[in-house]
Amino acid sequence: MIACQEFRAAFAPATEDPGVLEHLRACDDCLDYAAHRDPEVMFRALGGPEMVPPGGLEAFVDDVMRQVQVRSTENEMDLRPHLRLRRRFAVAAALVLTIAGSTLFLSRERPVPGAAPVPVVSRAVRPFALPVSLTTKPAVETYQAAEATIVEVPQDGDDVKVVMIFDESLPADL
Amino acid sequence: MAAELRLMIPTQSVEPDDRELVRTIRQGDAEAFEQLVRRKTGKVYALCYRIIGNSEDAKDIAQLVFIKLWENLEKYDPQYAFDTWLYRMVTNVAIDFMRSRQSRENAVNSNLRLVKTSEEAEQGVVVQRKEVEAVFREVSNVLSPKQKAIFVMREMEDIPSCDIAKILGCRESTVRNHLFNARKLMQEQLRKRYPEYARLWRDR
Repeated sequence: MIACQEFRAAFAPATEDPGVLEHLRACDDCLDYAAHRDPEVMFRALGGPEMVPPGGLEAFVDDVMRQVQVRSTENEMDLRPHLRLRRRFAVAAALVLTIAGSTLFLSRERPVPGAAPVPVVSRAVRPFALPVSLTTKPAVETYQAAEATIVEVPQDGDDVKVVMIFDESLPADL
Repeated sequence: MAAELRLMIPTQSVEPDDRELVRTIRQGDAEAFEQLVRRKTGKVYALCYRIIGNSEDAKDIAQLVFIKLWENLEKYDPQYAFDTWLYRMVTNVAIDFMRSRQSRENAVNSNLRLVKTSEEAEQGVVVQRKEVEAVFREVSNVLSPKQKAIFVMREMEDIPSCDIAKILGCRESTVRNHLFNARKLMQEQLRKRYPEYARLWRDR
């Protein structure tokens, strides 16, 4: 740093000389001298070298690194629910597709290979109009309708027979 | 013999420049980031302190700047000076903080004013750094956060107007206007609150 005499000789208003400014920021006597010649220079004295934060540089750096680590972990955690959500969505979509596919597959008339052929009484099949109850045997035995479809489900034994009737003209609470 | 001589020559560790450090950090090197923080803390904290005027707040803001730096490092374009980019971040965060603080304090401090008697004012003043610091804290309260940031960068950090314009993303003429207005406002405040300092201008 330059000496006081050198400073006073070199000082000029609105100076940008780094050596002069360095002295100004370190010497109160010369600050007073300079401010009485150029008051604009007064606040320039507050500038200068780098400063150390309270608690010291090491503590500051440690704090920053700790916070950065916390933020990074938080960001990772924030990403995980998205992944989980995506996975759940994929599973749900797969389930929906499976159910829809199997419904479509089952709704079609497809003979099972090796199984006995299903006797179809009428061809007007309405698979989505399934009856609620199929237990009114007397009505079935004497049942005759041109628009109905009666399907007899093949069974192992002869004592029970399952028959499905699809007829929109029948009352719902039959 | 040649090998022995080589061993005796102290190996100089050449520190990577800012751009190289940033490149290393982008590859996921946390130690390089620590090195960058260590290197820039003095400058960043000093600028924060001079703009904000409170050591604890300045420390918090400086830490926030480094966290933002870590989060936004991908956005840094190496064709520009790293310090310009860093100072832009510092001023943005500090100005935001000042704006929120000003709105809180304005209601409380609007009627407080320290006025010296005319007798004291006529006695003249011995300008000392500690005193000037207190005076600056008082009179700079009238500046807008942006004006204060520009004043600090120009007067205390010795950053040329053209570089301040780059930091703030505005024209150099805008910087000069802000600087002119800041000086004018501060002189007015000096006349009101510290007439003994205002005399320095009168006596010239």
